[in-house]
Amino acid sequence: MDPDSVAKAFVEHYYSTFDANRAGLANLYQEGSMLTFEGQKIQGSQNIVAKLTSLPFQQCKHNITTVDCQPSGSGGMLVFVSGNLQLAGEQHALKFSQMFHLKPTPQGSFYVLNDIFRLNYA
Amino acid sequence: MDPDAVAKAFVEHYYATFDSNRPGLANLYQDGSMLTFEGQKIQGAQSIVAKLTSLPFQQCQHNITTVDCQPSGAGGMLVFVSGTLQLSGEQHALKFSQMFHLMPTQQGSFYVLNDIFRLNYA
Repeated sequence: MDPDSVAKAFVEHYYSTFDANRAGLANLYQEGSMLTFEGQKIQGSQNIVAKLTSLPFQQCKHNITTVDCQPSGSGGMLVFVSGNLQLAGEQHALKFSQMFHLKPTPQGSFYVLNDIFRLNYA
Repeated sequence: MDPDAVAKAFVEHYYATFDSNRPGLANLYQDGSMLTFEGQKIQGAQSIVAKLTSLPFQQCQHNITTVDCQPSGAGGMLVFVSGTLQLSGEQHALKFSQMFHLMPTQQGSFYVLNDIFRLNYA
């Protein structure tokens, strides 16, 4: 499968899981995974999922505008995403950028080693 | 030197060089370096610098809003930047996000292995 398709498939899976079943994101992180969420640094799958499931909104929808990817060396893949995030009940969507560093698992899939999320304020 | 300080120093050096001496960026890339600039994929220091020096503006100023960094494994560092780009003569600054994957050089410095740049449109 070509890298761009892998990146696109990962992004679709990540955000549909986020939007439908945030707790299900646990499968995509491991103990050494790192998330920086609006400047806050969190490490390890458990803490990361605790952070994401505690964000102050019930329902949300990510709409993806751009996906760029490059191989990071040693089988890893960097994925750079921009889009907007619609929170239920809010009139205006938030714009965001996010980067993922994906590493292969022995089962032939990917997990997120590095994750950095930033809102893009007007 | 702590990673956040290294990332901040790199970002300041990168954009100061970009804004005053774009050909000088050649030192920061190698043959295997990759740039994706607004979706266009470019490989290798020579081609990357050719692209950056041919962008359709003479003078510009990058103003950095946020810098996030994480270790990428194997001594590498991921740096995620957001900010604005003011082109001389233009009334409104452009917003951008950019990610760098830095790898150590033998001389104890860093070069850019991966570089992805996106404008953030309103």
